[in-house]
Parts: sequence; structure tokens; C-alpha cells
Amino acid sequence: MMKWKALGLAAALLAGTVLGGTASADEVVVYHTWSKPSEIAALGVLRDAWGKDGHQWKDLSIAHDSGANVSLMNMITGGNPPAIFMNSDPGIYRDLTKQGLGVPLTKLFDSIGATKNFPPAVLKNITVDGEIMKAPATVHIDGMIYYNKHVAEATGVDPKSWKSLDDLFADFDKVKAKGYIPIAQGGDQFQKAYLLQAVIASEEGPDIYNRFYGEKPDKSVIDTPEMRTALKRFRQIQQHTDPGSPNRQWNDTTNLVITGKALLQIHGDWMKGEFLAANQKLGTDFDCINIPGTKAVVVTVDAWGFLNTNNADTAKAQEDFAKLDVDPKINAAFVLKKGASPVRTDVDTSNLDACNKLVLETLKDPNKQVSNPFNTADADWYRTIWEQADKYWSDPNRTEDDFVKAMQDAYDQIF
Amino acid sequence: MTAISSNAGTSAPSAVKARRRPLIRPSRVVIFVFLLMAAAFFAVPLYVVIVTSFKTMDQIRLGQIFSLPSPWTTEAWSYAWTQACSGMNCNGVRVGFVNSLYILAPSLVLTISLSIVTGYGLALWNVKWANGFLFVLFICAFVPFQIIMYPLIKIAGGLHIYGTTFGIAVIHSVLSLPFLTLIFRNYFRGLPPQIIAAAMIDSGSFWRIFFEIVLPMSGNIMVVVLILMITGIWNDFLVGLTFGAQDTQPMTVVLNNITVTTTGAKNYAVDMASALLTALPPLVIYFVLGKFFVQGITAGAIKG
Repeated sequence: MMKWKALGLAAALLAGTVLGGTASADEVVVYHTWSKPSEIAALGVLRDAWGKDGHQWKDLSIAHDSGANVSLMNMITGGNPPAIFMNSDPGIYRDLTKQGLGVPLTKLFDSIGATKNFPPAVLKNITVDGEIMKAPATVHIDGMIYYNKHVAEATGVDPKSWKSLDDLFADFDKVKAKGYIPIAQGGDQFQKAYLLQAVIASEEGPDIYNRFYGEKPDKSVIDTPEMRTALKRFRQIQQHTDPGSPNRQWNDTTNLVITGKALLQIHGDWMKGEFLAANQKLGTDFDCINIPGTKAVVVTVDAWGFLNTNNADTAKAQEDFAKLDVDPKINAAFVLKKGASPVRTDVDTSNLDACNKLVLETLKDPNKQVSNPFNTADADWYRTIWEQADKYWSDPNRTEDDFVKAMQDAYDQIF
Repeated sequence: MTAISSNAGTSAPSAVKARRRPLIRPSRVVIFVFLLMAAAFFAVPLYVVIVTSFKTMDQIRLGQIFSLPSPWTTEAWSYAWTQACSGMNCNGVRVGFVNSLYILAPSLVLTISLSIVTGYGLALWNVKWANGFLFVLFICAFVPFQIIMYPLIKIAGGLHIYGTTFGIAVIHSVLSLPFLTLIFRNYFRGLPPQIIAAAMIDSGSFWRIFFEIVLPMSGNIMVVVLILMITGIWNDFLVGLTFGAQDTQPMTVVLNNITVTTTGAKNYAVDMASALLTALPPLVIYFVLGKFFVQGITAGAIKG
């Protein structure tokens, strides 16, 4: 009996080792979380350009966008990690550096002249503890207004004339009177949190924003008149939403604007992809503006990271990948397919659309941009902000005091 | 599950009829209303999923989720099966289907062949420390996968099976071994002891008794275990996600890649069709083996 069992176990182990193949030496595993047609088209641009340098893209996709990237860490633990991965969480890069697996890019980007052409917010996003650790792929603005031009015409509203949020709210009565939803908003926690970020940045400016969302937040900012005003604005927006808002996904929300049920949505500029997928024309059917009177926009950067494999061929492949990724031409083509904005201010803009140009124009002013905490801040801290923003939004009985108190308590626990 | 509940549902009213009570009674109405509600609870979302999968995106954008498709189109289905993208591999959910089969087959063979022998040994032979061993198995059956995930990844990495379909199969087998051993052990305990005693007197060896007496008597429990394992492994996401790699992701992970979007546009028809395609195989197994499943369970119940 013992013999049989031992034999069985040996056979199982043997089969395991024989079948256990890994990617062949010339293929480099590229791990990302994208699968949608626009995203695939963008990745295709990069893959083809990289292929010309003689590198083979071995694709690995896991749609699983959690703050702490569990899958990546699992693969490192299992001894089968990807050489190139898409991730923006600074915590991941700190972990990798600690394990001696990080690949700094500062020298490379300096030598090819990329660093000086990154807008400040991008540079901040990709820098971890003083070193550039990520190769930026796209720029997204978290709080842009996309509106339906037909609804605007029907209600006699001109969003481009708005100078402040007050103008916007003043026009909402006209919109409501004609039976349209003035502002489409969804129910996910991240949608509300992104909106609060956008409101704080656009209304109160970079200083307040950075003190609240920064890498090392400032406790005293939580209880300031500015924060309270921003919260009141946030509440004001909430009061203009429709009853269907809770539990609605961001793309269903965008759909309300596409189908002409709602005038506008304040959300990340990736909603443009939904408009384009529905065959809507920028400039005819829909248009985009910054939040009226914006003092700063929140910048999100999708970025690539590299894992040190101690293999010269892989290192060369990684270096070529990083170079192509920030190449002015390739990057412009990449973001055009993706529906985002380029990571450099010196790219060729001839093929970009009006919304891209608006973003690039805004990013030319170094004092008008801040970073998405998702790319820079402590995960516990911004998760708490998300949670509290959601609670405050969802329950009209909650006051600014409740929010302030909760954030102060959280601060003491986290830092 | 469905087989059991529908059985219970039909047998209750017929028992009432046999006693010749009036047809419409308040308690009956209540039961019917409850059953209808329960059925609707599962059927309405399913209806929406099916109907949506046959619509075009333009229709879906109208937001009338209960309306019938006009025109009906199977585009989303063929797209989901052959063209939907999981990462840059735009070959549809069929890639995952094949991977899931490659995971399913070895893990079924491994798990069942190992656990049926351990169950048999523990139930019918005098094994030293058998009770202690059973207790440990019992505890193991309740350990959630998540808390032993890290060491398992380490072990799989050390054995060089991390990131392979075979590796996923082995992990599935290891994880379900305690539970299945308990099931088999309890089933074999219920076999008439006289038969085994007689076989031992006839100087049958461990393996002869197993192959010639015990195995032919375990058809019922085999069906139960098969259904449990097939649904469990097919529907698993976490093990496949954790131990899978580039070409070895099971169908559920591929489905997740297709449906979950962070900043990309969404096509609900394709999402629904992919989800239905992924859910189909275990459903088919239920329909084919469902009858035996109930038999197997009741056989065990009466004997135990």
C-alpha cells in the first residue's frame, strides 16, 4: 500500500515538472488589465513598434484593478513574474525596490530628453521616493464635463459660456424645466470620490488639494473653510442628480448623456470612449469642457513598470519598451487609439481631437494640475476618503462636521 | 440544487391531492405565491441576461431592459465565442473553455482516484491513528483557500507547476482532497460490513477488495462527487486567477477579462453572451446527471 502511494505521488510530481513550461526566452511577458477594443488597439501600436526592435510580446491580461496588485505579487512569489506590467500604485514600486526588483528609469528618461517634457503632474505621478519608477502611458483628467450638444441646444444652454459652478447651477433650472436630467451621476464609490477630488481641485486649487490628498497629508487642512465649501459644492451637485443615480455604473451614466436624457456628466475623460463607441461625433453630438472656473485639474497616469530579471536581453527589451512608450510619435498614436491624452507636452498634435488639445492646453500651466491620489498617496488614506465621500454623498443628513470628524479620526489611525 | 428544489415543489402538492382536500386552500395559495416569487427571483435576472445577449448595443442603450430584442441577433454570441478580447488575445471565451477542460480532466482523475482510496482505507481497514487523521481532515475541509494561498503559491513555484494548467489541476485536487475523503469515507462506512468481512476472510487483498467489491458499489456516490467537482472546478475563479498564467487562464478568468472594464467602453450583449457560455457546461452536466445526483444523495441518506 505504501509503495502504491509513493509511486502515485512520484508520478504526479514527475508529470508536474514535465508539463511545467514557461515562456520561451525571447518572449517578454507584458501584463496589463486591458481588454476593450480601444485599449487593445492602443496596445497594438506599442507592440508593433516594439516588434520592429525584435522583441516578442507575450500577452498576459487580468482585469483586476485592485489598489494593491495581488496578482503581480502572486506571480513574483510563484517565480513566474512578468517583466513588464501596468501599474500605478506607488506601494507596488516601493515593495519591488525593497526586494531589489525595481528598475529605475530616471537616467534613461533624462538621456532621451523625455523628463523635461513631462507635465509636472505626470512627473509627480511617476516618481516614487525621488526616482522615476514608472513609464507613463496615458494621461487622463478625472473631472471633465462631457455634454450632449443637442440637449444643450434644446434647452438654450451654452456650457462654454459658464465661468463658474454657480453659472452651471443657475442654468440647471432651465434644463429641468424641459424635462432633462441636468447632471448624470453614477453610484459607484469611485465615481463619487473622483467627483469630490475634481471639485476640491477645481474650486479650492492645488494647495488645499495637495495638503489633503498628498503623499503626506496635512491634518490641519481637514477642518478649513475651503474644505467645507468644497463639501457644500459636492452636496449641491448631489441634489441635482436623478433618482436612478445610486447603483448606476459610470458607463450607464454616460449613456444617459449619449441618449439625450441628461445634459452632462462630470467624470474622467475616458467616457469619450463610450461616445465614440455609440458613433457620436465630437463637436456635433457632444463636446467637452473643464469644470467652469477650474483652478486645477486632477491628473491620472496609467503607467508601466519593469521588473529586474537579471537578464541582459530582457533588460534591453524593457529599455526599448520604455523609450517607445514615451516617444512623442508613438505615444500620440497610442493615446489616440486609447481615447486619452499624451504624456508629453511636445507631441505631434495634428491627429489629436479637440478634447485632447484642451487637456494638453490645460497641462501647459504647471500651477493648474494635481495628481490623482490613486497614483501617489497612501492607499489607506485615500480609501478612507473614498468611503467618507460616499457616505456623505449618500446620506443627506450627514453634515460637513461628520465628514471632518471622521477624516480626523482616520488620520490619527493611519499616520 | 435546482433538481432538489423542483422535486420538493412538485411532491408537496401531490401529497395534498392524495388526501382529497379541497383544491384551493389558503396554505396552498401561500405556497404557490412563495414558489412563484422564488422562481421569479432567479428567472427575471436570467431573462434579462438572455434577452440582452440577443440585442444590439443601440437597443441596449435605450435602457429598456425587459423589452424583447428587435431584431434578434446572434452577433454577440459568435463575437463572444470567437472574437472577444482577453487582453490582446482576441479569440473569444473558447480559449478559456479549452483551458477549463484541461484543468478539469486531470483534477477530476487526481482528486477522485486519491480520495476514494483514502476514504476506503479509512472506512474499512484498521488504520493507525485513523480517528486523529479524520479529525485533521475535518479541520482541513474548513480551512479557507485564501489563508493558505501564499504557501501554496510558494510550493507550486518550487515544484515548477506554477502558471500551468496542470498546476491549477493539482491545486484543485489538493484543496478538495479532505472534503472528498470525508464523503467517500462516510459512504463506505454505510456499506454492509458483512460483505467486507467475508471478502477479507476469502483472503482478498486491499486492492482486490477495492476494485472488485467496493468500486462497483460506489456508482451513486461517484455521480454526486462528479457533479460537485465539475461545478466547483468549472466555476472556480480564485484558484484559476492565482495559479494561472498567460495561456492557462480558465474560462471564468477569461470571462472576467472580457466583462470587467476600467476605462474602456462596455458591450453588454457580448458580456451577457460570454457569461451564459461560461455557465453552460455545468448546467448541461446538471441536466444530464441531475437524476442520478438525487438518487446518489438519497441512497447515502438511507444507508447512513
